[in-house]
Amino acid sequence: MGPKQKGGGSKSRGNATEEVEETLQAVVLADTFETRFEPFTLDKPRCLLPLANTPLIEYTLEFLANAGVEDVFLYAGAHSDQLEKYINASKWKASSSPFKQLTFLKSVSSSVGEVMRDLDSKHLITGDFLVVSGDVISNLPIEAALKKHRARREADKNAIMTMVLREAGRNHRTKSTSISPVFVIDPTKDRCLHYEEIDHNSEESHARLNIDAEILLTHAELDIRQDLIDCSIDICTPDVLGLWSDSFDYQSPRKHYLFGVLKDYELNGKTIHTHIIKDAYAGRVRNLKAYDSISKDIVSRWTYPLCPDTNLLPGHTYDLRKGSLYQEQGVFLARSCVIGRRTVIGRGTSIGDRTTVHSTTLGRNCKIGKNVKLEGAYIWDNVVVGDGSDIRGAIIADGVVIGKNCTIESGALLSYGVKIADGIKVESGKRISKSKRDGSAAPTDVEVVGEGGEGYEFIQGEDEDEDEDDISVASSGLVYRMPGLSLSSASISTLSSEMSEGSWGRSARSSFSDSAEQDNFNADATGSVLESLREGVSADVVQLELVSLRMTANASDTQVRRSIVTSFMQYIEELMAKGKGASQAIHQVFSQYSEVVDRTLFDRNKDEKKDQVDLLLQLQQDLVSREKGDTVLLFTAKELYELELVDEEAYEQWWNDERSSGSEEMKKVRSQAQQFVQWLADAEEEESSEEDDEDEDEDGDEEESDDE
Amino acid sequence: MPSTSPALTPGLSSFLKSLKSNPIDTSIENLISLLKRRQICHSRSCATATAYLLRSVVSLCRTSESSKLIERVQSVGRRLMAAQPREMVVGNIVRRVLGLIRDEAEDDRDAEFALSESESQPQTPRAFDDASLPLDRDSLALGAERSTRPPLTSMFSLLSHPEPEASLPSTPGSQSPGGHYSGNNFTKDLRAEVLEGINEIIDELGQVDEQISNYALEHIHSNEIILTHTSSTTVQKFLLRAATKRKFTVVHAESYPNNHEVTHATVSGTRPDDDELLSFESFQKPLIAHGITVILIPDSAVFALMSRVNKVILGTHSVLANGGLVAAAGTRVIARAAKVHQTPVVVVSGVYKLSPVYPFDFDSLIEYGDASKVLPYEDGDLVEKIDVQNPLYDYVPAELVDLYITNLGGHAPSYLYRIVSDHYRKEDISF
Repeated sequence: MGPKQKGGGSKSRGNATEEVEETLQAVVLADTFETRFEPFTLDKPRCLLPLANTPLIEYTLEFLANAGVEDVFLYAGAHSDQLEKYINASKWKASSSPFKQLTFLKSVSSSVGEVMRDLDSKHLITGDFLVVSGDVISNLPIEAALKKHRARREADKNAIMTMVLREAGRNHRTKSTSISPVFVIDPTKDRCLHYEEIDHNSEESHARLNIDAEILLTHAELDIRQDLIDCSIDICTPDVLGLWSDSFDYQSPRKHYLFGVLKDYELNGKTIHTHIIKDAYAGRVRNLKAYDSISKDIVSRWTYPLCPDTNLLPGHTYDLRKGSLYQEQGVFLARSCVIGRRTVIGRGTSIGDRTTVHSTTLGRNCKIGKNVKLEGAYIWDNVVVGDGSDIRGAIIADGVVIGKNCTIESGALLSYGVKIADGIKVESGKRISKSKRDGSAAPTDVEVVGEGGEGYEFIQGEDEDEDEDDISVASSGLVYRMPGLSLSSASISTLSSEMSEGSWGRSARSSFSDSAEQDNFNADATGSVLESLREGVSADVVQLELVSLRMTANASDTQVRRSIVTSFMQYIEELMAKGKGASQAIHQVFSQYSEVVDRTLFDRNKDEKKDQVDLLLQLQQDLVSREKGDTVLLFTAKELYELELVDEEAYEQWWNDERSSGSEEMKKVRSQAQQFVQWLADAEEEESSEEDDEDEDEDGDEEESDDE
Repeated sequence: MPSTSPALTPGLSSFLKSLKSNPIDTSIENLISLLKRRQICHSRSCATATAYLLRSVVSLCRTSESSKLIERVQSVGRRLMAAQPREMVVGNIVRRVLGLIRDEAEDDRDAEFALSESESQPQTPRAFDDASLPLDRDSLALGAERSTRPPLTSMFSLLSHPEPEASLPSTPGSQSPGGHYSGNNFTKDLRAEVLEGINEIIDELGQVDEQISNYALEHIHSNEIILTHTSSTTVQKFLLRAATKRKFTVVHAESYPNNHEVTHATVSGTRPDDDELLSFESFQKPLIAHGITVILIPDSAVFALMSRVNKVILGTHSVLANGGLVAAAGTRVIARAAKVHQTPVVVVSGVYKLSPVYPFDFDSLIEYGDASKVLPYEDGDLVEKIDVQNPLYDYVPAELVDLYITNLGGHAPSYLYRIVSDHYRKEDISF
């Protein structure tokens, strides 16, 4: 039997048949491109953070092993070297591993979308596969879902994806409190018809759901469900990857991809289905709140058999005692200490006299002094806590030293190696770290950690999710807010503010990283336009070519603009290399092909010149890496103005757009253009004095972009 | 025998299949993780997997000395037991294999002695655990005893024909008995015989229910009302055998929440192919097909009904040396209720479940399972505020049990220690 399903465009399915016996493949997204776990993720990849003293990734791989997966592709993002080292030393790479193949893929991607497109271009997937993020904890036997998925696919090859969702009631600790995904499902076919994320903390007073009238008309029965935990376990057919590749601007698997594919049902005819489970555990450590609640779930054995006493890691020797107390061998407990319920204690940890420990996870080799109170805390390995300290609901990372009589309030995060001097009070929600975002050591802030302490207060980038650490319910007076962010959109390595705006086309971002290679359209279009320029073909022909390319690849306007910018600038560079002056070269190219550029701008009559701003940003971005980029930018800006391709307002909007001043390089490249913009502004007699202030405001973002 | 239906998720059948193709270390790791993940979880599945694994271990162990072989089996056994200490059958099988090796080694040495010293001594290969041939075994054992042991001192041991393991109290197990005679063909014989012994264990595991059910007619009489619990296949076979000749009534407690679905299926005869282990079970007709009245009751009704019940027949997870047992949660309540009403409690269990472990700490023997079976996880408010515990097993003390029926026959709980010493060597009890 030949392949029944056609992969999207460039996919080679090989000789893989659709038999049930085909090996089950899985893609683990070890980096979810989020900043939720900062400052811990500054030093360690997120999936190696311990959850009940076992690294997160172990639970995920265990789940895959349980599901009978044989090929695993592990996509690592930040700190991939650490993760690779860990995986290579782990049992999953040993000959006895349940996986026949565990492929470690490093990627420079900055979003799930890029990972998926990369995967598509690598042609590794031969059949149905699972996509899970590296922080999934589940004891779900996947067969049922898989069987249904396969049956559906047999019947209709357009059923490309099945999402596994866990039913949870109205209020549930494992559910996200601020953003709730809403699924509109046709219960007769288990088909997901519409997806939207509702932000409870948005400025709008009432959350709205926009359901297409079409959906209401064509389906006799609809379930609109908000009570589902999205554990991001997806069963996919290879077509899914094709769709990722086709839609270049999709970044996150739910907010963009799911939403987009469902919206474009008329266009692509693909359906996405749901598998709602009622009786197995499935959850995702998506933020610190989930970290807290899933830790509790593990300790209370909801995740059985993935409990500490299963000893997932070789060398672990946890034993279950009465009252959900898990204790490893070799724990030193003083006679008068009180160990309460729901506690996990690792080997070599000693606890002093009259210390009380409740609902706390203690790692290995911790030294807890006398008269210490630990409640609801997560203390990782090698932590020293001085006598008389009081720690509640905080996360204390490896190697932290806390002095005597300190108070660590709920929701505080102490990152690796932080030292807190005696008698210091760390207030609720503070994040203290030793390293900066860019990985360098930060100066100690004595105000925060006291004399002799080490560390500084780490400010979470932007307003993104600073309050998400209300890890203790008691302290949840803090409001959890995250404007416009989906569960997994913010990327560690990109500007967090970018995403929250959501209005910006994502192409510029994509060109930040080298996802350009992944994009066939971009490469094709750029190549062909450049060729035409060199040959001096007329503008009509170039335009025609672009349109046809764009139709085949279903590319967005942003992509088209990018290809034009890239090819034009390339050609201009070539001309300049031949000895032409910059202004001359630019004039030659743009005047000849102004029509081509014009055809990509559709906001001539609007107030907000999104397309034009985007074009300018593309230009700026492209010129960052070129010689004399600043000069070329200036002349190009002038030329575009003279050709009336870009309006004055657009220049102003561009200049004020924070993305155009997002990094040092970006600022540098536009520095020369300043005079031009200034001149424009003066000509219009408008104020443009806030620029400099704004530049300073953007410091946080700069650091982020520097990482690239 | 493993079922032939291809299972997607790893389990016993996939393990047994992979055993042939994978290198031995992989198989060991494989079994360990299967045990940890509870993908092999019934007593018999565990026992079967362990036995098959040890057979491969022994057959691939290229050693010339029995002590090396013992060491190897011990090290593998230790890891398996550490993986799932509460599945005591794993340890039991390991101990029996160790006992086999020691016996064979000693036999060989005895034989060598016998050859060199006096030709007249009878050479008796000990069919150590071949329980299906009790007569044969008895005579052999008697023969062996006559030759190697001082006269029996008690009536009790005379009747029970214990294995003469006490005859060599001075031989430390670790000493290499075959050291002087480690010729090539000797080694082969040792290994071959051990393998044969393991095969017998595997056969025993396959036949044990059949053998136990042979005693059914002695214990179940016409018009009796029998109470049982869980979906134990041993109990089902036992009742089925009785049902071929007699009419009686079965009251079946559903053993909520961990086993009720399977119990319902067992009662109604729609048992899914959940038992990957034995394919013939799927051919089994339920009791109702034999015209037996089966009444399914909730566990809470056990006490109310107990006064009407003539006999309680229970399956078990494992049996301990003191006569107590670790069985599905709810068993203790039933046993206690039966005690109050002076109803006899009969436990049916294969000898392989009999563990030499003495329960000093009952709590450590009890496994706690998935809390969501008790309280649905959807109920967020309760999940947040309540600690839910779901014990999978109960410890039932020996005084609540009146009779054990194993594949060797019926025994009083107080007699079990004797069977323990029959089946396990002292050296192996804690290894």
